[in-house]
Amino acid sequence: MSKVEIRNLHKSFGSNKVLRGMNLDVEEREVICLIGPSGSGKSTFLRCINSLEQPTEGTVVVDGHIITDKHANLDKIRENIGMVFQQFNLFPHLTVLQNITIAPIQCKALSKVAAQEKALELLASVGLSEKKDEYPASLSGGQQQRVAIARALAMDPDLMLFDEPTSALDPEMVGDVLAVMRKLANEGMTMIIVTHEMGFAREVADRVIFIDEGLIVEQGPPAEVFGKPQNPRTIAFLNKVL
Amino acid sequence: MSFFDLIVESFPLFMKGMGLTLELSFVSLILAMFIGLFSCLMNISKFAPFRWISQVYINIIRGTPLLVQAFFFYFGVTQALGIRMPAFTAGVIALSLNAGGYLSEIFRGGIQAISVGQMEAARSLGMSRTAAMFRIILPQAIRIVVPSVVNQCCITIKDTSIISVIGLAELTMAGSQIIARTYRSFEIWIVVGVLYFIIIYALTKSSKYVEKRLSLVKGGDQKPS
Repeated sequence: MSKVEIRNLHKSFGSNKVLRGMNLDVEEREVICLIGPSGSGKSTFLRCINSLEQPTEGTVVVDGHIITDKHANLDKIRENIGMVFQQFNLFPHLTVLQNITIAPIQCKALSKVAAQEKALELLASVGLSEKKDEYPASLSGGQQQRVAIARALAMDPDLMLFDEPTSALDPEMVGDVLAVMRKLANEGMTMIIVTHEMGFAREVADRVIFIDEGLIVEQGPPAEVFGKPQNPRTIAFLNKVL
Repeated sequence: MSFFDLIVESFPLFMKGMGLTLELSFVSLILAMFIGLFSCLMNISKFAPFRWISQVYINIIRGTPLLVQAFFFYFGVTQALGIRMPAFTAGVIALSLNAGGYLSEIFRGGIQAISVGQMEAARSLGMSRTAAMFRIILPQAIRIVVPSVVNQCCITIKDTSIISVIGLAELTMAGSQIIARTYRSFEIWIVVGVLYFIIIYALTKSSKYVEKRLSLVKGGDQKPS
């Protein structure tokens, strides 16, 4: 059984069909990069995986849990799926440390001390130990995004979703965030990443998936997709971005 | 009688009236906060009947004068149910339901001003909608709504004067009673006005302090003390 199984996924916003029947299996420890033009449905697809968007049709199964089921315990399933957003979405009224500990304390009934211990470890691993008592507003974008990654990891997820994690960052901040993600990939985390960082995708991804107009147009190892793309739409897209 | 003598003589009545005004304002506003929050949460609920109830309530409150609402609870409801209700109770019910309706909309505005990303981030971490609302959304919304809530408090404190019509001897009623005895309309209404002004001014001043403290927490380099 695959880690994530997505079957015939459709999503419409009114008459606008964003996803038009997508299928995907993600294996344990696999790192997948979703690429494609803006408006192609990459982010919507990602957001269907943890049910931030309700698909119009189709099923998503994560770890054997049918997340598209009406009676699914979404909160419980989501504890195992970390998500990192383009706009970071840190909680501005909480310190860095509180941002990381609030969910484990709330959802896992972890003691405050245990949660803080874990949070400090995670902060160290993203290189931000000295920022623990700061508020998000006093951090740079790159620092905020690394805190956001630590926050997601604090729930011990075994699947991480990244929705254009570096698109809102100044160029000099991108490297730090990608370094954290690269480390995570090397540690064996299962990751699905929507990205415009082609260099990163080529280096880290096990599989690159090109999405256009709500469909998976082409997929394969990065060397194949970037090296000798088959589909004319993939070729046109890569010519523009590379 | 000199102005000074007039004040000295009527001082106890004024203080009694002012005490009642403060009591009425305080009790009503505390209740109104809960009613407002409850109604607001119903209004943004996913369950449609909750939204309808809340919207009907808000529309009735906004669409009818407080004077009518006070008469309705003191004379109307008591007659229909065949019960007796102290004027203070009727006044608190009318004022708190009235202010609650407006606060409900103020709270809704504050909650909707928080970016959806905040709710999504909280939910993606596994927090329930309720936990996310109380731990993430509301603490931020409170900071936004403080000025509007203070504004509504000022309005409600002054609206307690309307409750004098159901025979409650609050500050405005106390003023009329003193005038009925002394015929010193000019001076007494000035004193009544000044007393209301003092209450409101004290409230707005202290709210500035609250606002300042809350904004410290929001960001920047400073830690909340």
